Amino acid sequence: MLNDITIGQFFPGNSVIHRMDSRFKIVLDIIYVVMLFTAQNFYGLGIACVFMIMVYSVSGISFRLIFKSIKPVLAIIIFTALLNLLFVRGDDTPLIDTGFITIYWKGVETSIFMVVRILFLIIGMSLLTYTTSPIVLTDAIESLLSPLKKVKFPVHELAMMMTIALRFIPTLIEELNKIMMAQKARGAALDTGNVFSRAKAMVPILIPLFVSAFKRANELATAMECRCYKGGEGRTKLRVLRFSKLDIYASGLTLCVFGMVIINNIVFAQ
Amino acid sequence: MNIIEVKDLEFEYKEYDENGEEIGANKALRGVDLTVPKGQFLAVLGHNGCGKSTLAKHLNGILTATSGTVLINGINAADEETVFDIRQIVGMVFQNPDNQLVATVVEEDVAFALENLGVPPNEIRKRVDVALRLVDMYEYREHSPHQLSGGQKQRVAIAGILAMRPECIVLDEPTAMLDPKGRAEVMATVKLLNSQGVTIVLITHYMDEAVQADRVVVMDSGLIIADGTPKEIFAQVDMLREHSLDVPQVTELMYELKKSGLDVPVDVLTERECADALLKLPHKAKCGAPAEESTLENKKEAPAIAETKHLTYKYSVGTPFEATAVDNVSVSIAKGQFVGVIGHTGSGKSTLIQHLNGLLKPTSGDVYIAGRNIWAKGSDIRSVRFMSGLVFQYSEYQLFEETVYKDIAFGPKNMGLNEEEIDKRVHAAAEAMGIDRDLLKRSPFDLSGGQKRRAALAGVIAMQPEILILDEPAAGLDPKGRDSVLDKISEYHRYSGTTILLVSHSMEDIVKYAEKILVMNRGRLFCYEDTDTVFSRTRELEQIGLGIPQISRLSHILAAEGMDIGKDIYTTERAKKRILEITNA
Repeated sequence: MLNDITIGQFFPGNSVIHRMDSRFKIVLDIIYVVMLFTAQNFYGLGIACVFMIMVYSVSGISFRLIFKSIKPVLAIIIFTALLNLLFVRGDDTPLIDTGFITIYWKGVETSIFMVVRILFLIIGMSLLTYTTSPIVLTDAIESLLSPLKKVKFPVHELAMMMTIALRFIPTLIEELNKIMMAQKARGAALDTGNVFSRAKAMVPILIPLFVSAFKRANELATAMECRCYKGGEGRTKLRVLRFSKLDIYASGLTLCVFGMVIINNIVFAQ
Repeated sequence: MNIIEVKDLEFEYKEYDENGEEIGANKALRGVDLTVPKGQFLAVLGHNGCGKSTLAKHLNGILTATSGTVLINGINAADEETVFDIRQIVGMVFQNPDNQLVATVVEEDVAFALENLGVPPNEIRKRVDVALRLVDMYEYREHSPHQLSGGQKQRVAIAGILAMRPECIVLDEPTAMLDPKGRAEVMATVKLLNSQGVTIVLITHYMDEAVQADRVVVMDSGLIIADGTPKEIFAQVDMLREHSLDVPQVTELMYELKKSGLDVPVDVLTERECADALLKLPHKAKCGAPAEESTLENKKEAPAIAETKHLTYKYSVGTPFEATAVDNVSVSIAKGQFVGVIGHTGSGKSTLIQHLNGLLKPTSGDVYIAGRNIWAKGSDIRSVRFMSGLVFQYSEYQLFEETVYKDIAFGPKNMGLNEEEIDKRVHAAAEAMGIDRDLLKRSPFDLSGGQKRRAALAGVIAMQPEILILDEPAAGLDPKGRDSVLDKISEYHRYSGTTILLVSHSMEDIVKYAEKILVMNRGRLFCYEDTDTVFSRTRELEQIGLGIPQISRLSHILAAEGMDIGKDIYTTERAKKRILEITNA
């Protein structure tokens, strides 16, 4: 059922990765992604991949979870693979040539290269959400974006919205379930018929959900006012983000690996 | 020293039409005077719409007065410059526990006010821990709010206010959406805070909460109409009834006894006080055999309309979260009966009733409706839902159409009835639930709380089900709304002969209407007997954590001290009859 949706998919733990400052984690994750796209050959990609596998094993997160995170994008991965396989042309003789389908060795190569790149992109991104609680992630984003306040970008408001969304998603899912049950009990047919009748059948569910969401928003706003909420100015935090030596080491290591990838590119370009 | 001083407070809601033109004003407060000394526990009573919530919102500057003043510790609460000081002195807790928690982690939520005030992090940490310990939620500090029960969420909300170290806490019906256990938790917390010197203003519909206060004020139509100690207020039974409010059962009993000529005091609030007064009267030790109620039991039982056989339901089978919600329940409900279903949260009662409507499929066992196995091969589950109508808790959430008429017609339309039949049923159902014809053209979202609830009920009644299952149909309503909903249901039961299953936490509500009571405990059927028989086992009911009516507790005290009026006492009428008999009046 809908209850199975877990937002953020955070797995609490006490590994080195869990203990890192979330701001560093985000930045280093971005560097890692850039690294994946900088790598121009299998050696460079291999370096980045070995690095990620290393980090992943240190985090204590089960490798089985990789499949879970890949599942939603499986279609994209297969599509990319096929596209490269069929349409990349090499200079040599084709491996297979049926007239209709022509596959070159270069196509196979590119295809594998792209798939590995996407796979490790997803693994890296999900490791961030697996090891960082959504609330800490929100804090980190707020902190990283704070320079944008100077150009009047509503950083605090954005973070507050994310926090409230995270807070109310389980509540609204529960409510959605309840409304669905109530309308089913009145004979609403939710899972039969064609696309149009199904879309129409959503009306008795979405309207009550919106009405209730607005009511909640209204009450929450009053409750926040009662607790002296007046926007982001002058706010402090219960949890202060602090970086430690650990984060410096991690940054050093990541940059070293990045350096290796770049050197590898230069060497092979010559 | 007074913490709150309200002088001649008036407040108007302006009403606007669709074009934003002012079309009138609605006076919610019409000259309220109220002073509250430091440390007092004040209860505010009044039906919905009497202005009590509006008054509360003036106490910390959420609303500003149209005229008159509100002083908090001598500071004007409406002054914009000091409004954040006022909000630290007077904290507010609201009815819906979900809609006042902001953060995804308990301790972060408690810290919210302090973060807003710019308190340094290490000081926040200290104050959050103190507040959480005070409401006894410290061990839950790293939980997320949706994992908590209603009572726990409400205590977190109180902690969020406490962290500001307020001198006064205003609670606006904090227990209205909670089960009896949650209510008790919250009340214990409120009493504890009061004993530590925090001034409490408690708005409530529950008389058992109001009697615990130092002082009670009653509001109606934007005015304070009575002000005194709980004893003084509750002794005025006529006045309270006139303003559609409840009185404690023992007070009502004494009032009725006095009317019948017994010399008893009316200002009693607890069963102990009541028993002491009654024991002073000359009386026999025991009542004669009760003759008046035996007619019911001789009635031959009709055939079963709903039946479960070895019904078991497990959640999340095959995961570490697997849990048995209903465990081997076999029960048979006779046609035409009014059955009360009781059990505390998590007892499996909601899961059980969802099976009777085919919304859940049993893990094992069978469900029969009108003799038909509803999960047999080829059975159409939608037709089962038309036969057994289920109304959920807070059923007004299911309203969605443009007009009340269309909303009530939703069920009958799904049944595939013709226009004429639908029209007939909509009007019949609206009438059964006391919804006027001109309301049918209005938007359901314009109705009052009680009207919405009745409109939602009419939407299920319009399907003319054989069984009508109601999950807490009166939850969250004020005494007047509650009585009108339950009376309408009882009336409908009488003239339509529909089998009714009424699920409720309130034993008082159930015994007033039900012929038989089904008690669930920990997923199992505890008993399914007629009301008198169930009440011969009140001790066991209390052991499994169910509250029994105050009047039953009174009869236990009386019996133990030599004035046995019988074990089957659960309504004040019956208690009155027996007491008149035992005292020979």
